[in-house]
Amino acid sequence: MASKGGVRGGNKAAREFVSEAEEILETMRARLADLSDCLGAGAEADPDLVNALFRAAHSLKALAGLFRFDPISSLAHKLEDVLDGLRLGRVALAPPLCAWLDETIALFGSLLGQVGDAAALAGSAARIEELTAGVAAITAPSAAPDEFASLALDPNVLRALTEYEEHRLRESLRRGRHIAVVDAPFEIKTFEEGLAELSSALRESGEVLSTLPSPGDSLESQIRFSLLVATDLPPAELAARIEFPGAAARTVRAGRAVPAAVAAPAATPAQVPAEAEGDAPAPIPELESLKSISDTVRVDIRKLDDLMNLVGELVIQRGAIGDLIARLGGRSETAKIGREFAKVHKVLDRKLRELQSAVLEVRMVPLRQVFEKVSRVVRRLRRELGKLVDLEIRGADTELDKLIVEALVDPLMHVVRNALDHAIEPAEERRALLKEESGRISIDAFQRGSHVVIEVRDDGRGIDRAALRRRAEQVGLVEPDAVLSDKETLDLIFAPGISTREQVTETSGRGVGMDIVRSNLAALGGVVDVESTPGRGTAIAITLPITLAIIQSLIVGVRDRRFAIPLNSVLETLVVDAGAIQVSEGRSLLNLRGTPLLLRRIDEEFGLTASARAVRPCVIVVGVGEQRLGLIVDRLEGQQDTVIKPIQGPVQNLRGISGATDLGDQDPVLVLDLSALVEDALRRREAA
Amino acid sequence: MSGAAPTHPESWEELARAASSHRSSPATAEALRQLLCMGVDGAPYAVPVENVREIVRVRPITPIPRAASAVRGVISLRGEILQVIDLRLRLRLAAVAPARSNRIVVVQVEDGRVAGVLVDEVREVLRVPESAIGAPVAADAGIVAALCANGGQFVSIVDPERLLEVGGRA
Repeated sequence: MASKGGVRGGNKAAREFVSEAEEILETMRARLADLSDCLGAGAEADPDLVNALFRAAHSLKALAGLFRFDPISSLAHKLEDVLDGLRLGRVALAPPLCAWLDETIALFGSLLGQVGDAAALAGSAARIEELTAGVAAITAPSAAPDEFASLALDPNVLRALTEYEEHRLRESLRRGRHIAVVDAPFEIKTFEEGLAELSSALRESGEVLSTLPSPGDSLESQIRFSLLVATDLPPAELAARIEFPGAAARTVRAGRAVPAAVAAPAATPAQVPAEAEGDAPAPIPELESLKSISDTVRVDIRKLDDLMNLVGELVIQRGAIGDLIARLGGRSETAKIGREFAKVHKVLDRKLRELQSAVLEVRMVPLRQVFEKVSRVVRRLRRELGKLVDLEIRGADTELDKLIVEALVDPLMHVVRNALDHAIEPAEERRALLKEESGRISIDAFQRGSHVVIEVRDDGRGIDRAALRRRAEQVGLVEPDAVLSDKETLDLIFAPGISTREQVTETSGRGVGMDIVRSNLAALGGVVDVESTPGRGTAIAITLPITLAIIQSLIVGVRDRRFAIPLNSVLETLVVDAGAIQVSEGRSLLNLRGTPLLLRRIDEEFGLTASARAVRPCVIVVGVGEQRLGLIVDRLEGQQDTVIKPIQGPVQNLRGISGATDLGDQDPVLVLDLSALVEDALRRREAA
Repeated sequence: MSGAAPTHPESWEELARAASSHRSSPATAEALRQLLCMGVDGAPYAVPVENVREIVRVRPITPIPRAASAVRGVISLRGEILQVIDLRLRLRLAAVAPARSNRIVVVQVEDGRVAGVLVDEVREVLRVPESAIGAPVAADAGIVAALCANGGQFVSIVDPERLLEVGGRA
């Protein structure tokens, strides 16, 4: 592979650390959002969530320690302490604590960005200290009266409980669950299986708080265990459910719902072996984080790029071999070996295609992650803005190239924020309009050919055409007397300098408008279309190619040059007489089955003058989003798999060119940027 | 690598070997800088070797429309598409017919930006002490950062960063 040098690559260990840490942070953000929701809904903090957060913080600390990133590891340590406190009930879950966790995780995010930059890391030390110091105030211990005294429990059992178990016991008492002790003898040789069987049976009806050896009478070959259980079932029913030989349950404390009842010993011996044999008798969260439960491999996307490059080179070589075979076949003395060669080539060709799609496959990731991020932001915003909004997400399994997914996050987030902030009316206003009080935003993703469409729909106030028009006139984008179609008016939201709301809000008024959304997506070969009904809502559709890696291209000749046109945007190709091209107001038009099609000449577009034009030119009809354009070229040279590469070098912003591709003859062919060409053609039309 | 004239080394490895074989002054304690010396219009120009990624023979160059004139176009180098800056044009010298000795020097700078630089010929790797390097006389093309005395001749040392900035602003 081309030697890319170490400069760009950076420190590999640091990169791996960052990517792994980011993944952990991502998990933490998701859990924290769920936890805040629990809190917001007045529900209990789900112990599973708190445990998951604790484990994540623990892994982060271990990871940072391993890589010797001290600021991160000390902050992770603090975070782990706080979460441990929460887990053990030493700290109460309250809004300030959630805010602290939010801030701490955000700080982690920015610390990760500073990895490798010692000065910046040192600069963050003050912020770390501030957060560390601030936590003391919000982690006041939760009130814990001694409720255990009233329990009919051996004090030795109470003393043997770990802090976590004690916390779970206290929590269960607070919720008014029944507390019971289940005693059972086990054969020493097989007690582990027996214990697992009993535990899993008990877990079906409640929570096993603790498992302790019990001193009770038993045969020589046996050992007794006591399991402390919290359950919503009345103890008698619990006892009846656990079909375990010799097991006895007694109530330590009756729950609120049912008066105290002494449990009867369980009767029938169980013959059915427990299903969940692998189940550990009690949860040991600390240990779970140590073993890897996933069979996936994390790969740097650049490695996949390299792999893709290699495949691209093989594809090019395949073409060269094809040419050689044709030459062998053309001469009678080599025709026979040529035919055999051709057979082998065919197999090679098929395998190469399989390899190509396998490599492409690896790059594909579902949109789920992006959608989860969006839904988290929506949850946060709706709390902050106090708006009632339901978010519906469909098609999260739709897959896209990893690089495209990454670049999609910001534009999509922006569109959704706009909907939430500007489009959805406050609840009172919606009531007055006889709309459902709660607004609705839906995100739909689906595949359409070699593209993926992501549609964001809201049922808000819709785009105010008149206000948009006024604003466009104010900033000088539109002449006061200009006549615009409805579509052209709506398209003004993508023009720079337009914001239909005067005040700048924290949510979507950061000076980044829909123009940035459109240009960011265009850089990925994507387009944005808008539709809006006043009073009813707006739909923004983002169309993106599934992959940027290998695409089918149409190779065309324009005078003495060649260009590649991505085939997925080509609707049809026509050969026309030069006379069929009409001109109206200086614009070339073609009558395409009764509809005027706007035309652009590629040679004029790029100022090409060498050699002559063809007498019968070709018109390539391309579609970009909802727009159509005919490109006039001189020749069609064929269709080919192309790996589109960025053009490296000093000249950037090559308008109308999205990259270049090597077709195997070492003579690179420029790839046309259709979104830019269409946009320019339409702009010229508006200007005309 | 057989048919090449000795003055036009074929590969980077060959140049590096040549450079290390006549290590002239092992006694000098002073740091030596290694420069790749290239001929343009008969005059010697140089770039620091640490900025040279590789040297390749001239291959088909596809012109890019509407680009700055010093950028001749793009080449494909093992699948990478690189712009090629014509050093002659960048130095505001007249273009000449291509010759067998022409080479494309692939220059890379700190932040990873990379481009091909078309030169008349590649000569050798110079090892010069820091003390032999001085300020340039004038900088009308804006890319010569220093001069270096080498056997009675001055070699113009080109600043790779500035060389690669030809685009938008030039």
